[in-house]
Amino acid sequence: MSRPAARPLRITANVIGVLAFVVAIFPVYWMVNSSFLPRNKIRNPVPTWVPFGGDLDNYRTVFEGDQFLNAMKMSLIVTLCTVLVALVFAFVAAVALSRFRFRGRMSFIVTLLVIQMIPVEGLFISQYKMLEAMDLLNTVIGLTLLYVALVLPFTVWTLRGFVSGVPYELEEAAMMDGCSRMQAFFRVTFPLLAPGLVATGVFGFIQAWNEFTLALVVMTKEDKETLPLWLTTFADVNRGTDWGGIMAGSTLIAVPVIIFFLVVQGRMVGGLTSGAVKG
Amino acid sequence: MRIKKTLAGAALATLALTSLAACGSDSDSDGDNSGDAPKAADIRVWLNGTDTPQEARDWLKTTFEEQNPGSTLTIEEQEWDGLVERLTTALSSDSETPDVVEIGNTQAPTFTSAGAFSPLTDELEALGGDDLLQGFVDGATVDGETYAVPYYAGSKYIFYRKDLLEKAGLEVPTTMDEFVDAAVALKQDNPKPANFSGFWFPGQDWRNGATFIWDAGGDLAVESDGEWSGSLSSAESVAGLERAQQLFVEASGAPKDGNEADPWTPFCAGEVGMMSTPGWVKGLIEDPETGCPDTFAKEIGVFALPGSDGSPAPVLLGGSDIAIAAKSANQELAQKAVALMLSEDYQTILAENGLTPALNSLAPLLGDDEYAQATIAAASNAKLTPAAPGWATVEGSRVLEDLFSALAQGGDPADLAADADEQMNGQLNG
Amino acid sequence: MSDPVASTSTGAQTGAQTGTQTGTAPRPRRSPLPYALLVPAVAALLLALGYPLVRQVVLSFQDFGLAQQFGKPPEWVGLDNYTSLITDDYLWLVTLRSIVFCLVNAVLTMVIGVGLALLMRHMSRGIRILLQTGLLLAWAMPIVASLTVWQWLFDTNYGVINYLLTQIGFDFEGHSWLLRPLSFFFVATVIIVWMSVPFVAFTVYAALTQVSEELIEAAEIDGAGPAARLRHIIFPTIKPVLMVVGILQVIWDLRVFSQIYILQKAGGSTHDTNLLGTYIYRLGIGTGEFGMAAAVAIFMLVLTVALTSPYLRVMLKQEKEA
Repeated sequence: MSRPAARPLRITANVIGVLAFVVAIFPVYWMVNSSFLPRNKIRNPVPTWVPFGGDLDNYRTVFEGDQFLNAMKMSLIVTLCTVLVALVFAFVAAVALSRFRFRGRMSFIVTLLVIQMIPVEGLFISQYKMLEAMDLLNTVIGLTLLYVALVLPFTVWTLRGFVSGVPYELEEAAMMDGCSRMQAFFRVTFPLLAPGLVATGVFGFIQAWNEFTLALVVMTKEDKETLPLWLTTFADVNRGTDWGGIMAGSTLIAVPVIIFFLVVQGRMVGGLTSGAVKG
Repeated sequence: MRIKKTLAGAALATLALTSLAACGSDSDSDGDNSGDAPKAADIRVWLNGTDTPQEARDWLKTTFEEQNPGSTLTIEEQEWDGLVERLTTALSSDSETPDVVEIGNTQAPTFTSAGAFSPLTDELEALGGDDLLQGFVDGATVDGETYAVPYYAGSKYIFYRKDLLEKAGLEVPTTMDEFVDAAVALKQDNPKPANFSGFWFPGQDWRNGATFIWDAGGDLAVESDGEWSGSLSSAESVAGLERAQQLFVEASGAPKDGNEADPWTPFCAGEVGMMSTPGWVKGLIEDPETGCPDTFAKEIGVFALPGSDGSPAPVLLGGSDIAIAAKSANQELAQKAVALMLSEDYQTILAENGLTPALNSLAPLLGDDEYAQATIAAASNAKLTPAAPGWATVEGSRVLEDLFSALAQGGDPADLAADADEQMNGQLNG
Repeated sequence: MSDPVASTSTGAQTGAQTGTQTGTAPRPRRSPLPYALLVPAVAALLLALGYPLVRQVVLSFQDFGLAQQFGKPPEWVGLDNYTSLITDDYLWLVTLRSIVFCLVNAVLTMVIGVGLALLMRHMSRGIRILLQTGLLLAWAMPIVASLTVWQWLFDTNYGVINYLLTQIGFDFEGHSWLLRPLSFFFVATVIIVWMSVPFVAFTVYAALTQVSEELIEAAEIDGAGPAARLRHIIFPTIKPVLMVVGILQVIWDLRVFSQIYILQKAGGSTHDTNLLGTYIYRLGIGTGEFGMAAAVAIFMLVLTVALTSPYLRVMLKQEKEA
C-alpha cells in the first residue's frame, strides 16, 4: 500500500492524526476521569488529572434503584426502532431519487431540503397535541414516529449522495454480464453504500439517543423515561447538581453508541463487502 | 391558636364528610357519584426534585387514601429541568394532565395568568387564610382570583467563616454599613489567594444584588395606572447599585461575569469570607463527598443579612407553590390533597427537614439553632420579583444578569441602570 | 413492472475515465416504481410533521400564548408577529452576528473534517483507528456531559486551560474566557467545531471509500500529482456527500442554541453574545409566546434558504444535468 513517494505525506498525516486524537479525546477523558471522583475533587483549584484515589461511588449512585436500567431499555427500544425504520425508508427513497427520473423528483428533493431547514424546536407543542389525538402519548410508537421524522430528511438526503456517488455504469457493466437489474444493484452498488449506511445509521442513532425535548413532553410516566430524561435527575437546583453522577451516567450512556458503531461497522463494511466480492 | 382551631375544624369537617361519603356509598353502591362525595379516582400529584422528604410523601399518600376510601394518590416525581415545557403540554391535555402540581414560585405567575390552574380563592380561608405566606399568595393572584398556594419557602442568608472574622478582629455585622465594611476588611485582610472574597458576589448574581436595591429603598420595577416600568434608575435604586458595585469591586474575588452556582466549591477552597446562599448549602459543605467537613466546615457561622436599619434586609424569596390543574377531572379530590399538603402535620414534616413552612405560625418548628433563626429572620422581610405580566420575559432576556455583571466590571451605575430600565420597559407589560 | 433498463449507456467509458459524471441514468418516465419507493418516507413525514407544520404556519398569524394553549380562543393578528419581528433592530444585529458566526463555524468544521478524512487515507492503520476511535468517542459523548466538561475546562477559577497556561508561565490566573464577546465566540467555536467535526470526518471518509482505487492508480501512472488527483478524481466522487454535509453545517450552525445558552449562563454578557438561536428562544418558546415563536421559525427558514441558495442552486443544477 505505502508508496515510497508518499512517505513525508504519511508522517505528516500521522502527526496530525495523533494531535487530532488528543483534542478529540480530552473532554471525553475528562468526563470519565470525573466519573470516578467525589464532587469536591471534580471542581477544585488544583485539577485531578487521573482518578487515583477515586472510587465507584458515582456508579453506585447510578445503579441505585432500577431507573437507569429501565431508561436504558426504553432508549434502546426507541432508538433502534428509529434507526431501523429510518434507514429502510430512507434507503428506498434514496434509490428512487438517484436511480430514477420521474415527475415530482425535483420538488421532492426541494421539499426534503426545506423540511430539514425548518427549526423544529417550536414544534413540540403541536406534536404533543397530535400524539394526544392519536392516543400515542407515553408510547414507544409515538416517540419513534417523531424521531423517524426527525432524522429521515437528513438520512434520505445523505444516502442519496452516497447512491449518486456510485457510478451507474458499474451496474450497467454488471447487467451486461448477465445480472438482472435487481441483482446488479444489490451486488455492485449496495456494498459500496455500506459505509454510507453506517454513517447515516450512526448519525440517526446519536440523534435519537440524545434527544431531550420531545421525550420530555411525550414520555411523562416514570417507567417510560429515556436516558437523557433520567440524566436530569442529577441536576436538582435545590440540592446542587451531582456532577459525579452526571459524568458517570454520561459515560454509561455513551457506551451503547460505541457498541452500535462497532457492530454495524463490522457487519456492514466487513460482511457485505466480502460478500460482494464473492458474488 | 386561631389557626389550630381552624385546622381542627377543617379536619373534623373532612372526617364528617368522609364518613358521610362512606355511608352514601353504602346505601347505593352502584349509584353514579351521588350527593357531594367525589367519585373515587387516582389523584396524580407532581412533585419536583427531591425537596419533599420521603416521610411527607408517605404521610400524604396514607392519609389521603384513608380519608378517601376507594381513591388513591400517586406522587410522580418531576425534575426542575424541563418542568415548564412539560407543564405547558401536559396541563393542556384532558387525558394526561396531573391533578395537583408543584411549581416554582417565580414560574407560577406565567401559568396562573394563562388559566392553567383552577381558582382556589374560595378555599383560601380553609387552607390557612392570613397565615399563608402572603407574598406567595399575592404572586399567584390575578384579578382577585388566587390560583396557587404556597408549598414551602426558602430564603438566602449569610454564611461566614468564624475564624477569619476573628482574625480580622471583626464582630458579626448588625447593619448594612457594618456588613459592607466587614466584607471589604476581610478582603484586605486576606491577600491570598488572589481571588479571595470578603463577600463572594459573582457578577451575574442579581438575585442577591436585588437586596441592595430594596434595602436602599429602590425597586426593580414599579406599577402606576396599570403600566409597569423599570425603576432601576431611581435615585434610591442607583444608591443600592452603587453599594453592590462597591462590594463587587472592593470585596469580591468571584468571577466578574460568573454565576452563583456551586458556592461550596470556592468556600471549601478557602476563597470565601462571607457568602449569601440558601440554607441547604450547609449540608453540602459538611458532606465529605462534596464539601470540606474536616476544615472550613467547622468554621461556619450564619446570620441573616442586616438591613440599613438593623432589621433583616429584604432578600429575594424562593420556594414552591402548589396548584390544581384546571383540566383535572377530580377537582374535589385534588382540593382535598392540597388541603392535606397544607395541613399542620404535613407542613411540620417539611419544617423539620429545614424547609420554611407555608404557614407563618409553623415557622418556630424550624427549631431554634442559629440556622433556624437566620432562616426565620431572612424570611421575615423577604420580597418577590415584581408581579408584572412580562417579568418572565425580563428574566429570560437576562437584562439583570447583564446589568450586575457590567456593574462588577466597573461600569457607571446610573448609565447602566438607565439602559436596563429602557430594555425592561419594552418587556414588563407582556 | 416495466424493466427500466432499456436505456443507452450514455458515455459510460468517458465517465469512467474522468472519474465520474455520476448519478441518474435516463429512465422511462411512467414507471410507478420510484413513486412506490417514496411512499414510506412520505407517509412517515406527513404523519409526523404534516399537522405540526401546517399549525406552525397558522400560529404565526395568531396571538397564541400560554393562555391559548390552555383553552382561550386565539386571536388572528395578521402579520403583527412578523412586523414586530422585523422592526426589531436588535434582531438584525443578532442576525448579522449569527450569519458571520455560522459561516466561520461551518467553514472551519468542513475544512477540519474533510481534511482529517482525506488525511486518514494516508495514515498508518494504527493511527487511523486511534483517530477514528477518538472522533467516535467525542461524537458519542452525551451533549450534557460535553457542554459541562468544556465549561469546566474554560472555567475562570478552576479551569484546566487557565491552570495549564499559568503553569507554563503565562498569566492566566482568574482569566475569564467569556468576558469579552470575541473571546466568548472563540470558546463557542472551539466547542461547536469539536462537536461537529466527527460527523463530517466520518461521513466524508465513508464517501471516500467509494473512490475507485484503480482510477487513482491509473491517474498516478498518467503522472497526475496529488492535487490533480484530488481535483479530478476524488472531489467529483464525493461531491454529492460534501454538498449535503456542507449545507447541514450551515443549517445547524445558523440555529446553534445549547452551546451559546450554556455559555451565557456561565459568563459573558448576554446582550453582546446573543445569536439567533438564543435570542428567538427567549422571544418565543422560552416565554410561552408560541405565535411569535412560529413567526420566528418561518423567519429562520427564509433566512436559511437565502443563506444556502447559492449552494442549493449549484446542487439543483447538478441534479438537472445528471
